[in-house]
Amino acid sequence: MLAALFFGAANVNAQKLFDNEIQIPAGYQPVEVVLPPSPLSLQVLFVGGTDLVQTTPTYGNPAGQQVAKEWHDFIGFTPDNTGQSLGWVTVNHEMIFSDDKLGDGGGMTVFRVKRAADGSLEIVDQTLADGRSGRFFNVDFANTVGETGMNCGGISSQVDGRIWTAEEWFRSNNASIASGVRDTTDFTVNSDIPGWNGVKLKKFQNFNWMVEIDPREAKAIRKQYNWGRQPFEGGVIEPSNRLVYLGPDDTPGFLGMFVSNTPGDFNKGTLFVYKHDKPGYNWVPIWEDGSMLEHKKFATQKGATMFNRIEWVTMDKLNNVYFTETGLDKPGNAWADENALGAVHDPYHVQRAQALGFTSPNDPNYPDYYGRIWKYDPVKDTCTVYLEGGPALSSSPSEADYPEVHLSNPDGLTIVNIGDKQYLLIQEDLNGSSFGRMPSGAPLIICEAFLLDLSIQNPTLNDLIRLTATPVGAEITGAIQTSDGKSILINSQHPNTNNPFPYNHSLTFAINGLDKVNPNDLKKPKAFDRVEMASEANADAFTVYPNPTARMVYMNQVTDVAIFDSNGKRVMVRRNTSEVDVSALTAGVYYIQNAQGSILKLVIQ
Amino acid sequence: MKKTIAFSVLLLMFFAGLASFKDTPETEALNTVTRQFHLGMEEISEAIALYLAAAQGLSNNEASVKKLRKAHSEARLAFKKIEFLLEYNDRAGVKRTINGPPLPFVEQGIPDVMPIEPVGLQVLDELVAEENPFAEKDEIVRLTRQLTQDFEVMRQFQSKLKMTHRHIFEAMQQEVVRVFTLGLTGFDTPGTLHALPEAKAAFEGMEAAISAYLPIIESKDRGLAIILDARFDHTIRHLGQSKSFDTFDRLDFLTKHIDPLYELLYQVQRVLGVETSLETSPMPQPVNQAAHSLFDERFLNVGFYAKVDVQHPQFEKRVALGRMLFFDPILSSNHERACASCHQPEKAFTDGLSKSLATEGQGHIKRNAPTLLNCVFSESFFYDLRERQLSRQILHVVVDSLEFSTTYPIIIEKLNQSGLYKKMFRDAYSDNPQYSLSAYSISDALASYVASLNAFNSPFDRFVRGDTAYLDPAAYRGFNLFMGKANCGICHFAPVFNGTVPPLYTESESEVLGVPLRPDTLNAPLDPDLGRFDSGKPRDKAPFFKHSFKTPTVRNVALTAPYMHNGVYQTLEEVIDFYNRGGGAGIGIQLSHQTLPDAPLQLSPQEQRDLIAFLHSLTDNPSHLQIRPDSLPLFEGKPEWNRRKVGGDY
Repeated sequence: MLAALFFGAANVNAQKLFDNEIQIPAGYQPVEVVLPPSPLSLQVLFVGGTDLVQTTPTYGNPAGQQVAKEWHDFIGFTPDNTGQSLGWVTVNHEMIFSDDKLGDGGGMTVFRVKRAADGSLEIVDQTLADGRSGRFFNVDFANTVGETGMNCGGISSQVDGRIWTAEEWFRSNNASIASGVRDTTDFTVNSDIPGWNGVKLKKFQNFNWMVEIDPREAKAIRKQYNWGRQPFEGGVIEPSNRLVYLGPDDTPGFLGMFVSNTPGDFNKGTLFVYKHDKPGYNWVPIWEDGSMLEHKKFATQKGATMFNRIEWVTMDKLNNVYFTETGLDKPGNAWADENALGAVHDPYHVQRAQALGFTSPNDPNYPDYYGRIWKYDPVKDTCTVYLEGGPALSSSPSEADYPEVHLSNPDGLTIVNIGDKQYLLIQEDLNGSSFGRMPSGAPLIICEAFLLDLSIQNPTLNDLIRLTATPVGAEITGAIQTSDGKSILINSQHPNTNNPFPYNHSLTFAINGLDKVNPNDLKKPKAFDRVEMASEANADAFTVYPNPTARMVYMNQVTDVAIFDSNGKRVMVRRNTSEVDVSALTAGVYYIQNAQGSILKLVIQ
Repeated sequence: MKKTIAFSVLLLMFFAGLASFKDTPETEALNTVTRQFHLGMEEISEAIALYLAAAQGLSNNEASVKKLRKAHSEARLAFKKIEFLLEYNDRAGVKRTINGPPLPFVEQGIPDVMPIEPVGLQVLDELVAEENPFAEKDEIVRLTRQLTQDFEVMRQFQSKLKMTHRHIFEAMQQEVVRVFTLGLTGFDTPGTLHALPEAKAAFEGMEAAISAYLPIIESKDRGLAIILDARFDHTIRHLGQSKSFDTFDRLDFLTKHIDPLYELLYQVQRVLGVETSLETSPMPQPVNQAAHSLFDERFLNVGFYAKVDVQHPQFEKRVALGRMLFFDPILSSNHERACASCHQPEKAFTDGLSKSLATEGQGHIKRNAPTLLNCVFSESFFYDLRERQLSRQILHVVVDSLEFSTTYPIIIEKLNQSGLYKKMFRDAYSDNPQYSLSAYSISDALASYVASLNAFNSPFDRFVRGDTAYLDPAAYRGFNLFMGKANCGICHFAPVFNGTVPPLYTESESEVLGVPLRPDTLNAPLDPDLGRFDSGKPRDKAPFFKHSFKTPTVRNVALTAPYMHNGVYQTLEEVIDFYNRGGGAGIGIQLSHQTLPDAPLQLSPQEQRDLIAFLHSLTDNPSHLQIRPDSLPLFEGKPEWNRRKVGGDY
C-alpha cells in the first residue's frame, strides 16, 4: 500500500488554473511567432451516399444511376500508363445493403483522375466499353462473379496497379447473409481458375474471397478461389509479381503467402501459411483437396502460427513486409481451440503472456487491448514485432507521455514516400475505449493516423508523427499515395460527428502538396523533442516552434498551456504537453500562455 | 476496515505536509484528490479480497450468508465512494468488468459475432440477493475471483493516469446524474436494491474531493464555498435519513438536491477557471454542463445527436425546407404518401394505427410508427436500432417497397422540375452549390426538421424546473413509482425517458420484453418479429438480440396509442398491466433471454393509475409544431403532380 501511495504522489505534477480571460496590458509587446499556411491542402473527391454512380443492367433493372454506397474503406490506385490521366481510383464499401441497381451486399466505386495545373486532382469524365458514361462508376459484381460483402481492405499492386477487394466479414451459413443479400440460391462458379469452373457453391460460400476487379471497365474479373476462403483484410504483391502476402482478420489469423508459377498469373500457384517453427522455410503449403473452402481448418492442422487479427499488409523498398495485428481484447478463448488442434503461438505472445503473469496466451484473461505492427523480413524468413501499441502505461508509452503519445488497434497500413524517405502510414480502428484507448472522459471513440519514418532503428511510440490534416473525428482508412507522389488519397469511413458537410459523410479525399513537404518538417526539431528536453526546471525562457506542415506548435518545455483568442477569451487548454495541435483554430491572432504565465503572440495564417 | 481508515488518514496528513512545501493551493487540492482516489482503490481491493474470502467460506447457514451479503455490500460501497472517478477514467472498462449490467453483450470492433457473458458486481448483486445464495456458491466464487483479477488490472491502469482539475469536476457532475438516473432507480442493484446507502457513499466520496478545493473556492467566492459545503452536507444527511427504496421521494430529491448540485458544480468549475471539455477537444459533447436542470431543454445538445450542423447560419432555412419535404408526397413513388402520412403532427407524429399502412394499399408495414418528438436524442434509430445517423435513416424509408418505394435519383429528378423547390434548396445549401439538390441536402433538410421537433415543456418539466409550483399529486406519486418500485426508469432513462443511457447519453439500448402477438394475458403467443436480430447489422446476429427492440421515449405517450413495436396494446392501462405481470414471462411467453425483470411488480390499482397520471403529465405536443404547410411547391410542367395533397392522401 505504501508503494502505491508513493507512486501516486510522484504521479501528480503542478497544474495551473488559467484565467478564463486575459487582458494584454497596454504597451505590452509579446514576442510574436507566425505559423505560415500548410503546404498541404485537402480536397474532397467522392462523397458516399450522395454522389451518383453509373450502374449496369442489374436484377432486371436497366442501366442508370444510383446514389453510391457508403462506409468507404480500402482505396486502390491504378496508374494510367497511357499518359491520358493520372490513373483510376477504386473505393471499397464496407457494408451489406440490398440495392436493386448497385447489387446486394457490399460494393466498390471507381473514378479516374488527372492532375490539374494547380496541383489538385480532377475527376475525368469517361465512357466505358459497356456504354456507361459519367464520373463515378459502380463496380459490377452481381452480373460477373457474384455479389461481395463487407468490402474491407484489398490489394493495390505496386507492380501494375491491379486491384483486389477483400471480403472480410466471415459468413458461415445462408441465414447470415440474408439480411443484405436477397438471392441465396446456390451459386455456380464461372471461372478461369483451374478446377473451379462449374463448381456449385452454397451462396454464402461465394463470399469471403479476394476479388480482382478491372478498374478501367468498373467490373469484377474473378474471385480468387485459389487463395483460400478467408476473412480477408489486406495483402501486398512483391515486385517480382510472383509472391502475394495475405492477411485475414480473424483470431487466430494466419499470415498467408501465394506463390504464382509465372509472374503475374495468379490463377496457378501454391498457397502457403507462415509457421515460425518449421525447419527450413517457415512456410507450409495448403494444397489438399477441399482446403480452399476450409482454409482455417487446414492451416490449423498444419500447425500454422496464430496472430490476433491480421489487418493490412504492406511492403517497403527492401521487400520487408509490415502487417498490423490489431488485437482482440481477450483472445484466449478464441484461439485455444485451434492451439489444441495444432496451430501454434508465436513466441512473442507466449513471452508476453508470461510477463503478464499468465501461463499461456490461451488464458481467457490474457489481454491484447492495443495490438501492434509486425515486420516479416524475407531474408531472415521471420516475423518480429516492429512496434507495440499502447498505453500500457508502465512501459509503452511512459505515463508522462500519455495521452499525447499512444497507438491503439492499428488497422490500415501503407507506405508513403516523402522526399527520399519512406514512411509507414498507420491508421487506428479502435476496438473499444477501455484501458486508455481514449483519454478520460471522452464521449466518443476517435481514431487517429500516424506517420512513422522507416529509417528509424527500433522505433518507439515517441517516433509517431500525428497526421492532423484530416477532418475532426474522421476515422481514416485506405490511405494510398498517387503514382506521382503528390497526393495521399484517404477515406473517412463513418464520421459519427456533426461536422459540416461533407465531413459528416463517408468520404474519399486527397491531401495534396506532398511533393512540397520537406521530410525534416514532419518531425519536431531536436531542441523541442521532449526526449531531448532538459527537465522543466532547467528549461529556458518559453519559446515555441510553429510547424506549418503538421499544424503543430512545439514548445521548449513540458508544461500546461492555454491559448486565448484576439479578444483575450480562452479557447484552448492543454496540459502536460510539449506540443499543441492547432489545426482546429481558424486563421487569426492568438496568445499562448504557459504554466509560468509567460505569454507569446501566435499568428496563424 | 476502521484500522485502515485511521492509517490512511495519517498517511494523507503526512503527504499533505510534504506537498505544502512548494505546491500552489490548486496543485495541493489536485494531489489530495489523487491520493483519495488511490486510497479508495486500495480500499476496494481490500473489500473485494474479503468478499472472495466470504464467498469461499460460504456454507449452508444463515450466519455465513449474512457475512457474504455484508461483504458484497462493503465492496459495493467502497466502489461507490470513487465511482465518479473510476467511471470517468474508463467507463467502458468499468462497464465490462466491474459494474456492468448483468446481460450478455457482443464484442465490438471485430468481424464476428462473439457473445460475452457478463461479470462483475451487478451479476453478483442478483446472486447474493437470492433466497439461497449457497446454491450458487460456485458461481459466486468464480465471479468474485474474476472480479479480484479484473479490479487489479483496472487499479494498475488507473493508478497511473494523470488527473486534471477538469476531470474531477466533470466526473462529479456526471456522478450527480448517474446517482439520480441509475443508482436511485435500482439500475445497478437489481437484487439488493441498496440504492440509498450507495447513493450516500457516492456523495461522501465527492464531498471529500470537494473539501480539497474548498479553500480555493472560498478565496474566489466565499458565498459559493459556503453554499456548496452546505449542499453536500444536506444531501448526505438526507440520504442517511431515508430508509425505504419504495417510498423514497425521488422527485423531491431531484428538485432539492440533484438539480442544484448539478448547477453548482459547473459554477464552481467556472469560478475556479477550470477549463471545460469544449476547450480541450474539438469533439462535440452530448451533455451541456451549463444546463440548470436535468429537465432543462438544453441539457442534451441536439447537434450532437442530429449530426447536422445546428449552428449553421442556414439551419433555419434547412428546417423550413425539411418541413415542406416532410409533408410532401412527391417523395413517394405514387405521390400519395408523405412522411406525415405515418407521422401526423396532431397525434404527436404518430398515426394511431397498430402498424402503419403500406403504400398502394398493400396492407401494413412491419411495425408501429413511433413519435418523432424528441426522437433525435438517440444513438441509433428504428425499433431494431439499424441506423446510427438520423439523416441516413430517411434512406430506408425511400427505398422500402412498402414505404416510398423509390430512389434518391428519381426524387432528385422530380424536385428539379419545381422552380420553388430549386430555389429553396439553393438558398438553404448555397455553401455547397454542387450538392444543393442531392441525396445529402434532401436527407439533411429532413433530419434538420426532425431534429427541431423537440419539446421539454410538459407540466412535469415545468414543475421540475420550478416554472410552476403545481403538479397533479397522482403524477407526482407516479414519477416516484416510475423511477423506483415500478422499475420503469431503469430502461426509460430520465430526462427523455428513452433508452439513451445516462450519464453520457451516447448509446441506445434495446430490450427483450416478450411482447405478445395478441393482447392475451394467458398463454399468449409471442410476436414473431425478431427485432434487433434482423437489423441487418452483422453484429446483431446474437441469439439474445432475438425479439429485442429499442426503448422508445414515453414522453407524449398519452397521444401515441397504440403501443409497443407491433401496436398490440390500445391503452396505457393494458401496457402497465403487461409490465405489472412481469412482461412476457407473466403471460405465458417463455424467453430465456427476457431482459425485463420477470417478477411481477405488485403494483396496486392506485399505483397503476398514478403511473398513468405521470405519463399524462409528460404530454407536450406544442401547437407551433403541429401547423401543416398551407400548400406545396408547384411543378410548372406537371399539372397532374400539383393535385397532390399536403401530408399525402392516406
